[in-house]
Amino acid sequence: MRIFRIGLLLGWRQVQRANKWTTLLIIFVMMLTFLNLIAVSGVLVGLITGAERAVRAESIGDIIISELDGEDRILETERILKELQSYPEIVAYAPRFDGGATLEANYKERRDLSGERDIASVAITGIDVELEDKMSGLSGNIIDGEYLKEDEEGYILIGSYYTAEFAEQFGDIFDTLDNIKPGVTVRLTVGDISKELVVKGLVQSKVDEVSLNTYIPEREFRRLFGRIDRNADRIVVRVTPEGTEDKVKASLVASGLDKYAKIQTFEEGKPKFITDIKNTMNLLGTFIGSIGIVVASITIFIIIFINALSRRPQIGILKGIGIERKAIEVAYVLQAAFYALLGSALGALLTYGFLLGYFERNPIKFPFSDGILVAPPDETFLRFLILFAVTLVAGFLPAWLIVRQNTLNSILGRK
Amino acid sequence: MSIIEANNIHRKFGEGTLVTHVLKGIDFTAEQGEFVAIMGKSGAGKSTLMYQLSALDEPTEGTLLIDGTDVLNLNESEKTSFRLNTLGYIFQNYALVPDLTAEENVMLPLLMRGGAWNDAKERARHSLDNVDLDGKYSNLPAELSGGEQQRVAVARALTGKPKIIFADEPTANLDSVSGRQVIDLLEHLHRDYGQTIVMVTHEREYAMGCDRIIHMEDGIVTKVEQLK
Repeated sequence: MRIFRIGLLLGWRQVQRANKWTTLLIIFVMMLTFLNLIAVSGVLVGLITGAERAVRAESIGDIIISELDGEDRILETERILKELQSYPEIVAYAPRFDGGATLEANYKERRDLSGERDIASVAITGIDVELEDKMSGLSGNIIDGEYLKEDEEGYILIGSYYTAEFAEQFGDIFDTLDNIKPGVTVRLTVGDISKELVVKGLVQSKVDEVSLNTYIPEREFRRLFGRIDRNADRIVVRVTPEGTEDKVKASLVASGLDKYAKIQTFEEGKPKFITDIKNTMNLLGTFIGSIGIVVASITIFIIIFINALSRRPQIGILKGIGIERKAIEVAYVLQAAFYALLGSALGALLTYGFLLGYFERNPIKFPFSDGILVAPPDETFLRFLILFAVTLVAGFLPAWLIVRQNTLNSILGRK
Repeated sequence: MSIIEANNIHRKFGEGTLVTHVLKGIDFTAEQGEFVAIMGKSGAGKSTLMYQLSALDEPTEGTLLIDGTDVLNLNESEKTSFRLNTLGYIFQNYALVPDLTAEENVMLPLLMRGGAWNDAKERARHSLDNVDLDGKYSNLPAELSGGEQQRVAVARALTGKPKIIFADEPTANLDSVSGRQVIDLLEHLHRDYGQTIVMVTHEREYAMGCDRIIHMEDGIVTKVEQLK
């Protein structure tokens, strides 16, 4: 306590009497270091979190109901859909029927029958037009043409990745069709059955599952695929408020629906690669942030070293009159702590008072995601603790180096 | 028993052929309450001797007892503690902490000894009053004249009531008026409180109030002048 009190007095007075601009500059550097540590990984993770949010909003929803292991599709789909209607927390749901088909375009203009056909293997989803739009806002992703109408048949929505024009940027990864635009007729072939459909609209989203898909009304899908039992492949569910999905899932399970289908929350059902990428980005951000910590610790080391070196005679005098070495070291460590605390506090204020809100309102537009800034308080606090600890060491080392020198040599300025 | 008892003190600097032998086997004693001046020309080794006697430096050879303690056998931490509790210092360059006020400079040793803040403050102010610096408690060293700074240093050296005060050319950086004030102050402390003082000076005028003057030349004691 005695040591700390003397250290506090000496350290605080040094900060008080130091050049204000220098102090501000040091605090500014510490603030930037804090931001570097929080924001770099925050943006990298936010990039994936943005994608995750989009997947949740436009594709998977909050609860995913899928077929049981060993089954082809969800059993008793009608019963499950009726049950879903009775939950006040469930604000939307949509059954989906999935299949694969071949889509052919430009066959009417084809003159050379021995030439290559303009075909693409596509994923196709049969949807309840109204329920799907309520659930995933699919109509909002129409970039050309119109969304499907209830009771309308003979129309198809095509994901932009299947069109040559939009898929150019991806190279040769997907099968694509030329000259696809609303009003064009395409031929959909499922096994031996073919049907001509008119392109109603083109769908584009940052969620690949949406852009790399085609949509037709479920009734037409079931007819084409011979699915007479009305059992869906997936049912996606939206609950409110967000976060109640565990409770709703538990209720669904309690009501016995898990006999007919697998019921998973978003966290359980989301693709594992999302979690993996998120962890990787976090690691990458931490690595980049660590470089910032090293730079900041060197900065603090140099500042404290120069400070202590220029005060070497005074340090010698303090030791000479009986002030313990530890008290003098504490004085410099406390200075470093002061810079780290104030810099981090300003950084935290900027992060939570401005940056988080700003990026929430103005996400960074990446090709595959609307990136936000993610900074969970517990992780931020942990990173602050690391920064703080490193700063203390960076403050202590130079002080220790100077203070341990011979007392008389220090007083007289001798080497 | 003498309060300082130094025998055969040698101090060498450097190594090999570049060794400088600054103190060449000095014997020194000081009695409780004695005021001793060490005089000599520049380079005679008087400051070096004082640094050995005051446990700021370690002689190459010799023995040293201060107040019955074998100082040379203490470790660094014990020496620091010993200096805090037994010795007081006045340096020629005042040696104040520039970031602390006059009052805080004086408080430092008291706080280090574990004194309460308010008590240390009161005693520091009392010491500053004794050296005629009342009203300058909150001044930083840079806001004080050289004489005033040295008086703060005197107050700091005295406030913990050390057994011995070492003063290394306390008037060297002062004008004659300020220098005289500091010497008067030391003489007054010696006379009124029986303080043991060892002072290095090169001005005979300032040494005339001492009990004894030790003359040095080229690392040895050449003459001892008993004044009282």
